[in-house]
Amino acid sequence: MRRTLWWLVAGMLLSAAPVFAKETIKIGAFFDLSGRAAFIGTPTKLVAEMVVEALNAAGGVGGKKLELVIADTEGDPAKAATIATRFIHKDQVVAIVGPTLTDEGMNVKKIVHTGRTPVVMTVGGDPVILDGEKFGPARWVFKSPQRSSTAVERLFTYLKEKGLTEVALLTADDGFGKDGLRWMEALAPRFGITFVAKEAFGARDTDMTAQLTRIKHAAPKALVVWTIGPAGAIVAKNRQQLGMTVPLFQSHGLPDPKYIELAGAASEGTRMPATKLLVVDELPEGDPQKPVIQDFVRRYTERGYHKQFPINTHSGYAWDAIMLIVKAMEKVGTEPEALRSAIETTKDYVGVSGTYNLSPEDHNGLGVDSMVMVEVRDGRFVLAR
Amino acid sequence: MDWMQFIWAGLGNGAIYALIALGFCIVYGAMGIVNFVQVDFVTLGGMFLYSVAVTAGLPVPLGVVASMVGTALVAMAVERMALRPARTANHLVLVFLTVGISIVVRGAIHMVWGKNRMAVPPLTADDPVRLLGAYVLPQTLWMMVLTLLAILALVWFFRGTPLGLAMRAVASNPRAAAVVGIPAGRVRLAAYAVAGACGGLAGALVTPITTLSADVGVLLGLKGFAAAILGGFGSFPGAVVGGLILGISEALAAGYLSSAYKDALAFVLLVLVLAWRPQGLLGR
Repeated sequence: MRRTLWWLVAGMLLSAAPVFAKETIKIGAFFDLSGRAAFIGTPTKLVAEMVVEALNAAGGVGGKKLELVIADTEGDPAKAATIATRFIHKDQVVAIVGPTLTDEGMNVKKIVHTGRTPVVMTVGGDPVILDGEKFGPARWVFKSPQRSSTAVERLFTYLKEKGLTEVALLTADDGFGKDGLRWMEALAPRFGITFVAKEAFGARDTDMTAQLTRIKHAAPKALVVWTIGPAGAIVAKNRQQLGMTVPLFQSHGLPDPKYIELAGAASEGTRMPATKLLVVDELPEGDPQKPVIQDFVRRYTERGYHKQFPINTHSGYAWDAIMLIVKAMEKVGTEPEALRSAIETTKDYVGVSGTYNLSPEDHNGLGVDSMVMVEVRDGRFVLAR
Repeated sequence: MDWMQFIWAGLGNGAIYALIALGFCIVYGAMGIVNFVQVDFVTLGGMFLYSVAVTAGLPVPLGVVASMVGTALVAMAVERMALRPARTANHLVLVFLTVGISIVVRGAIHMVWGKNRMAVPPLTADDPVRLLGAYVLPQTLWMMVLTLLAILALVWFFRGTPLGLAMRAVASNPRAAAVVGIPAGRVRLAAYAVAGACGGLAGALVTPITTLSADVGVLLGLKGFAAAILGGFGSFPGAVVGGLILGISEALAAGYLSSAYKDALAFVLLVLVLAWRPQGLLGR
């Protein structure tokens, strides 16, 4: 009986051998494709497929083709955790990109830590790369979008330059808004910025005139709104409705042609920190990112993605996430710990969203110089003066 | 005149909550169930308006009519093709069916109209008017006027037309209505059509302000549901009163208390009212 079993196992191994011979390097990719952030997750997935195809066309990594294992988190943290577990133990992926939402990311941290699989997230919030009891282990977690603190620093530098230091804050009461509020409060003293009003709203609210009326009475020199999605456009419209003339500043989550479409004429003059993606034509010739971004935009447009999902400030994050993994893989192969520490020591990777310099203390690697201030002028984004 | 600004904001939102609450009440009256597809009727109203006014480029008022008609047709299809074949009067089964249908409808909306946020044109230009010391969008006025007209039309429908009277008969005593030969099937179909039209109108009116996506109706629908409970579930005047109270208290809370807690305040109000009157403000 036992002998037959051994033969069976041996036979199975033999028959499986040809499969091993042309094996691929698997990367798990999970995004919100049908939930509340599907409008971010879907283009992220398209870009992930685009970069893998480009890499495979150029010969893959170390002679092996890359293979994306794609899954839909439905914007649900519990589902994200299930998928991450499946990626690691069933699909046996080498690394993971995604998910889309900060809450999903938080739920995945422990799983990749015990499963010893590096993940490069495309989420906005900083807590995913913060280590500690409150946040969970971040040793295996990286993220490609700028930290909120980076965007706040960029914005405050600009406000200080322009002398607009008496600021009214209007922040969403979700994870993204609170993260922004925390950093703005922490960094304000360094830039000599004072807050004359602090208001909040629900990320899915449909009318902010009440909060804006209160802000109007505080007579600020600048109004800073921290949110993602349509709420930002509604604030812009409400501001116009109330006849307010105070300059409007938005977060790094909003530089998106969609904002202009949704807010219409009310978006005119809004300024915000953004990646260089939206203003690539205005970049000086010496900028090392310029050719990288131009190449990205060309590929994206060639595939016609821009018709359904116009390029916005987030478009490049999936590209950079996969490139960070692949660059490390080219150096050290796919052994988990080696791959993790190679990602952690990435230096001078010139990406679409900035130049990455990671370290054990900084699992993002983007500095303030990766962002520019953009302004809506005549219905399109240009560099703010 | 800050309070005037807050009142206007509250009245606009309140009118929409009231319309959605009415949709809940109509189906509840005819079938005794909570119809969770109502939230998607709101989304569909916005989507039809988008297709007619933006994609086809036709005038916006025509789009509003089209969203009412289109959503009513979808609602009838939901009743005829999904609820009636279940062949059950078990309320729990029917309610859970509506939850399932709601998910299916939202998936279909995703596939037909995509996952992106969309901008929908308002009925008239977006320039705010000064009214009683406040800045008001014309769309807010339209919301209030058309909601009022819809309520009047509903009153006339339920008091003056044979179908409306039949629906009230089924609502007050289904067995007696069956005995005198009122066709329950047709009445339920009509109830869904009217509820669909209410939801469609709400969606077509509110999405120019909120912007449009496949789940825009969910939160609004939740507030409409709360408004219906506040006023007394099933009571038509209650739905209107509940909607306006909810809208105005939200706006006043955001204006005078803390804006961070305004949603919580609206729901605390709901809990307090229900503790004092479990049947709702105007419920029986």
